[in-house]
Amino acid sequence: MALLELDQVSIRFGGVQALLDVSLQVREGEIVGLIGPNGAGKTTLFNCITGVLRSDTGHISYDGRDLGGVKTHRRARLGIARTFQNLQLFGRMSVLENVMVPIDAFSSRTPVGDAFRLPSARFEERKAEERARALLYFLDLLDVADLQAGDLSVGMQRRLELARALASNPRLLLLDEPAAGLDARETAALADVLFRVREQFNVTMLLVDHDMALVMRACDHIYVLDFGQIISEGPPEDVRDDPEVIQAYLGEVA
Amino acid sequence: MTSDVRLVRWTAVGVGVALGVIIPAFLSDFLRTLAADAAIAGLIVLSLVVLTGLVGQISFCQYSFAAIGAFTVGSLVAGHHWDFWLALVVGVVFAAVVGVLVGFVALRLSGLFLAILTIGVALFFDRFVLAAGNWNSFSGGLSSWRPGRPSFFGIGLHGEYAFYLFAFGVLLAACLLVWNLRIGKTGRVLRAVRESEVAASTVGLNLTAWKLTAFGISAALAGVAGALAAVRVGSVSAGSYDFLHSISIAAIAIVFGAGSIASAPAGGIFLIFGREALIDWTSFSTQWFDLIIGAGLIFQLVYAPDGAVVDVERRIMRRLRPPVHRPPVNEQTAADEVPAKAG
Repeated sequence: MALLELDQVSIRFGGVQALLDVSLQVREGEIVGLIGPNGAGKTTLFNCITGVLRSDTGHISYDGRDLGGVKTHRRARLGIARTFQNLQLFGRMSVLENVMVPIDAFSSRTPVGDAFRLPSARFEERKAEERARALLYFLDLLDVADLQAGDLSVGMQRRLELARALASNPRLLLLDEPAAGLDARETAALADVLFRVREQFNVTMLLVDHDMALVMRACDHIYVLDFGQIISEGPPEDVRDDPEVIQAYLGEVA
Repeated sequence: MTSDVRLVRWTAVGVGVALGVIIPAFLSDFLRTLAADAAIAGLIVLSLVVLTGLVGQISFCQYSFAAIGAFTVGSLVAGHHWDFWLALVVGVVFAAVVGVLVGFVALRLSGLFLAILTIGVALFFDRFVLAAGNWNSFSGGLSSWRPGRPSFFGIGLHGEYAFYLFAFGVLLAACLLVWNLRIGKTGRVLRAVRESEVAASTVGLNLTAWKLTAFGISAALAGVAGALAAVRVGSVSAGSYDFLHSISIAAIAIVFGAGSIASAPAGGIFLIFGREALIDWTSFSTQWFDLIIGAGLIFQLVYAPDGAVVDVERRIMRRLRPPVHRPPVNEQTAADEVPAKAG
């Protein structure tokens, strides 16, 4: 059974049909790619899956459960995490704190425990910091743990977003253009990072990116979105040779 | 955090507490009442350290929350002969509940619109709740409540020095609690909500619950201040909780910096003693004091956008901390190391 299943999802903003009858499936353990020209609706689709936006029609189900009416933070608790194309780090907080926040979100500590520094709160604080540091080590950010997140380079900020997303122990990870702003070598390294993330964290991924080399290399299955509609899908090599896809990206072939 | 920073911080706190205890011992009773007022005003600044400093919400109705604490204590102690401590608890809980309600209305608002909403709340309290004739059993109508001074574990707080020490102790305890909140999960989560709401909710934070928590804690602190003010003055009247007070204290919280707990005592001292100095030493009237705050606001916005106290703290930190070691800024090295470590 698919971990994530979209069934005829549509959403409209005024006169713009952002998504039209989008259906797709992401099976457990896969890395699924979602590609398409700018404005095709990829980020809108992510927003629908995470509950930031509500689709007008259609169903989204996760782990066999309909997500209709489930709030964003509840979806996070069910195991859906994401990164953001336009970097949404907690800029004026330290790198370490950025990764601790998702761990905090899952802990049952109350303000009372914090205010009086109850033993349980202190224990959880230590545990959260340890786990956050382990994640920073995994993504090679431990050296910058005490810097402000907003002061990091774009490459590091993208890795920090990944670390923060992993901190909530997701089953499904939505990656919104993780290679944007990275140079060729970083992008090449990113595919390896994703494979290792899948191995170590046992996480399923839906990856949006423009970098064809990355998508072709990392993904098991690819969907192509254009003007809000899925125009092609299949294994990477099939999609690459699909004339419709070439046309969507390069325009009418003479 | 280096141990130097910690040493300097706790030394500063220790010196501040010692001065706060010793200096008023040598002052006149009049100045001691002002010192108690400064501690009470400090509590209201502290309530903004939580709301504005942590979660980034503005409020121009903190004195309305204080009024709830004050009038609850006034009506229960003077009107129904309740014990002060019980009335204090009821007043603080009442203030927190109203704070949560205001927070609920404010959920989707921020910045200018939130400011206008909170001014509306303040005016509602000024012109309706506390106005004679509308809810006399709470507001006292045309006469004001006269609650007496309580005693603290058998020690009467009638003397001005004793009462000052009590108010100062409450301020210190509140500062300590807020400090603990700030460095714990609560502070981190609230700052995360301030930094990016969309990211905070996608990592699993319930924005509604946390914003309401912040409003509740903030209103509760202001409620404590009001309850103390009620017995400090010994009479509770609506004029002391006029919404212009809320605007002055919000301006002071911003001038000193809502990002620092030290702004609470500093802002309280400035508000009470600054105004007094202006009247005593110059021929200006108190109205000019608001002008000084306004000028301070402009100066601060230009030269210390995060507030004066925050700016000073940062300068001290910079001197104490060795320059930050900046490891691989070279992206290529960093990228090369990722696979090696990730494996």
